[in-house]
Amino acid sequence: MLNTRTALTPSLIAIVGFLTVCPVVMLVFGSFSEGIGAFGTFTLEKYIESYTDPEFANIIVNTVIFTIGSAFVATLLALFLAYLNTRTNIPFKFLFRIISIIPMMIPHILFSVSWVLLLNPSNGLINLFLRQILSLENSPFNIYTLGGMILVEGLLDLPIAYLILAPAMAAFDVSLEESSKVSGASNLRTLTRVTLPVLRPAILASFILVIVRSLASFAVPSIIGMPGRIYVLATHIYRIIATGFAADFGMAAAVGMSALAASITLIYLYRYLTSESEKYVTISSRGYRPALIELKNAKYPLFGIVALLSFVLIVLPVLVLFYTSLVPYSMVPSAKAFSMMSGKHWLQVLKDPISLLSLKNSVFLGIVGASLGVILSIFVSYVIVKVRTPAAGVLESLSFLSFSFPGIVIGVGFMWFFVRTPLYATIWSLLIGYIATYLPYGIRPLTSAFIQIHSHLEESSRVCGGGTLYTLRRIIIPLLIPGVVSGWILMATMFVRELTLSVVLSRPGTEVLAVQILRFAEDGLWGKLSALGIMMIFISSTLVVIASLIGTKLTKVEEESR
Amino acid sequence: MEISIKRVSKDFFSEGKKIKALSNVDLTIPANQIFTLLGPSGCGKTTLLRCIVGLETPDSGEITIGEEIVWSKEKNIFVPPEKRGLSMVFQTYAIWPHMTVFDNVAYPLQTRKEPKEEIRSKVEKTLRFVQLEGFENRPATKLSGGQQQRVALARALVPEPKVILFDEPLSNLDAKLREETRKELRSFLTELKITAVYVTHDRIEALSLSDAIAVMMDGRWVEIGTPKKIYFDSDHRFVADFIGQANLISGKVAAIEDSYTIVDSSIGTIACQKSPDTSVGNGVTLCIRPEFIKVIEGEAREGSNIFRGRVESLLFVGDAYEGEIVVADTRLIVRIEPTAIVEEGDEIALSFDPDHCFVLSK
Repeated sequence: MLNTRTALTPSLIAIVGFLTVCPVVMLVFGSFSEGIGAFGTFTLEKYIESYTDPEFANIIVNTVIFTIGSAFVATLLALFLAYLNTRTNIPFKFLFRIISIIPMMIPHILFSVSWVLLLNPSNGLINLFLRQILSLENSPFNIYTLGGMILVEGLLDLPIAYLILAPAMAAFDVSLEESSKVSGASNLRTLTRVTLPVLRPAILASFILVIVRSLASFAVPSIIGMPGRIYVLATHIYRIIATGFAADFGMAAAVGMSALAASITLIYLYRYLTSESEKYVTISSRGYRPALIELKNAKYPLFGIVALLSFVLIVLPVLVLFYTSLVPYSMVPSAKAFSMMSGKHWLQVLKDPISLLSLKNSVFLGIVGASLGVILSIFVSYVIVKVRTPAAGVLESLSFLSFSFPGIVIGVGFMWFFVRTPLYATIWSLLIGYIATYLPYGIRPLTSAFIQIHSHLEESSRVCGGGTLYTLRRIIIPLLIPGVVSGWILMATMFVRELTLSVVLSRPGTEVLAVQILRFAEDGLWGKLSALGIMMIFISSTLVVIASLIGTKLTKVEEESR
Repeated sequence: MEISIKRVSKDFFSEGKKIKALSNVDLTIPANQIFTLLGPSGCGKTTLLRCIVGLETPDSGEITIGEEIVWSKEKNIFVPPEKRGLSMVFQTYAIWPHMTVFDNVAYPLQTRKEPKEEIRSKVEKTLRFVQLEGFENRPATKLSGGQQQRVALARALVPEPKVILFDEPLSNLDAKLREETRKELRSFLTELKITAVYVTHDRIEALSLSDAIAVMMDGRWVEIGTPKKIYFDSDHRFVADFIGQANLISGKVAAIEDSYTIVDSSIGTIACQKSPDTSVGNGVTLCIRPEFIKVIEGEAREGSNIFRGRVESLLFVGDAYEGEIVVADTRLIVRIEPTAIVEEGDEIALSFDPDHCFVLSK
């Protein structure tokens, strides 16, 4: 027993260290190599080639505008929502919980596609509609612009920004505001002079996290940016390895290094800011409910905006996809459109061998990958929470490292590794890459589950006469199940929709759903794309439901077995 | 059941440094008493408790509960906690959040696979005893702190153990509830006539609950006695100071009379309790509790144990004034009747009964 315990931490450090550090090391070596076949040689050629490219400056400018723009959109919207929810008497507050969670369940690639379907200049539904009504020559909107990318990315990252800002705002010490009001300031003045400055660390943290996420984002730049020839770092890397005559992984690695460096710097800044904002929170008085601001006449108009946002974030994408999957070509909903609906696209997808293969692969990766990922997460979380040696601290830092790495860069790093192993072009290479990148999704819920299992709960069972196994069965496992289930659900849904890593690692034979959807998008096959997209959402939701049912069932079994 | 601890030691290693949690503890906890281990944090009291229950293993020594040796280094005996037949109330209560009140309390009986009907009737009886009838089906987490504490107590009582161990069970309750629960706990435990080992750092809790107190320091006990003995007649400077507010005055024994010892001290000549261990010329420390020092109103006479001093500060705390009186450069803490007419800066006379001034020999 003692030996296995002492061996646990080092072996986990080895596994997790391999998963997170290996792609980075390979990336660094790769960027100095002459080519994917000539690993280990040293040359600066790839750096010179990629950073002297006249277009590179353009790409950097696009990337900066895109990421900062998205951060503005997401943070401003999140601030607005968080303020309304925590500080005013706006009705139907449950909507805010939905807004903050549900959009994460809609795959980013499908969300981006739905906006293309609505706002593309040739046959976007809203454009078609406005042209019909207003008898316009040209489409009023064009999604294939930096503005379009910023809008969609901003909406996608809204939930993340909200989840940072809402707790900060809820924990805010209201007496700071009250003293401002007592001094004669109006609500608005108090907001701008007291509330927002005090929340500044949280606002900056949200801003930076959204920049990191949009820097790593591949769905929006590929679906919306590439058709408009607007390239950012992620799509530039993709272009280097996936198009043209020969994929140049050396150059991809050299470009990836700057994305990686930017991302790591930003994450450090983020960590620093969150520790700052936590300082603010601990000072505040607890258990005191702030008086809610009476919105009066603004109540329902403001609620209207919230309702519209939730519609746009949650209902609209699914609706548009479903509609597009049924009509033969893009047309504004009308009696004619409804009469022409058929399951043609669905049947085509179900007969398409590559689509079927991608379905099979994604389901396999979702189920097997999430299960293996959760098992690893259980051990890692156990060591992080319960062992707490300096080595456990190392493990903790290692396992959250991948948060700061953009997926496509990790993909390139892994590519350098996998071509040297028999795993190359197998589904296992994807599986390993997925677990490495999404390990924090499994570890987060499990560490909180382990934290909940205070050592006294275990010890108390021992004193009450329960042996080790009895305690494991009746106390530890039941308390872990909710964490296991949410870890599994998070990982499985991420894996079923995975795009960023997959576009690099997926080869003929190992296609996955998101990559196949990207191919359909590149070929403009919107009907088939939508049908496959709906299937993807359906598969994710089914996995979520099954996992929750198994979770409930296992808890029930515990209760009956007494 | 009697618990006997023989030469038990335990070291912890923290950041490369060795910390002696217990050093060679010899202690007998008598049967059917409430026995308290009292001491500042880090004195080893919780470690000792955890060694008794089996959650911690000592580095050496022997622990016997009743007739059974549950731990012995030499004889290589270790009885795991689940086989020791003890109960314990944890500082955090350790209520299992995924179970109802009923399941929490029934758990010790379920581990022994008792028949269901018997479990039901025992649990109901115990819940009645701790005044939690009707809470059976509540999720245990939906209870207040005080109620959770009772669930923890019920769970400890339900298997009818011979020994219950308490690890600072009241420290998470607010002040008022703590006082009430203390009273209840005392009446529960005396009614049940079982051996209780109680760990606390709160001196009032220790004094009011216990039949006997062992005051611990640096991994060993320094003094064992009844609450009154510990409070009024301690031998140790550390104990006298820890158990309550105390004026500690150093001096030298000047004479030993028939009924008193006479000590020359910084505030003058003091007549105090006779102490068998001292002889003329010895350096000693005297202890006088603030509540035994009286302010002499009106014209003060000269006499033994009468001292003059100046009121340095006066703090009104409701039932008394807490005064600091400087007598010949020595600061004495004095509890003064709330009705007394004194002010800061006044010159006053103090006196105390020699019987309330005792010699700390160690």
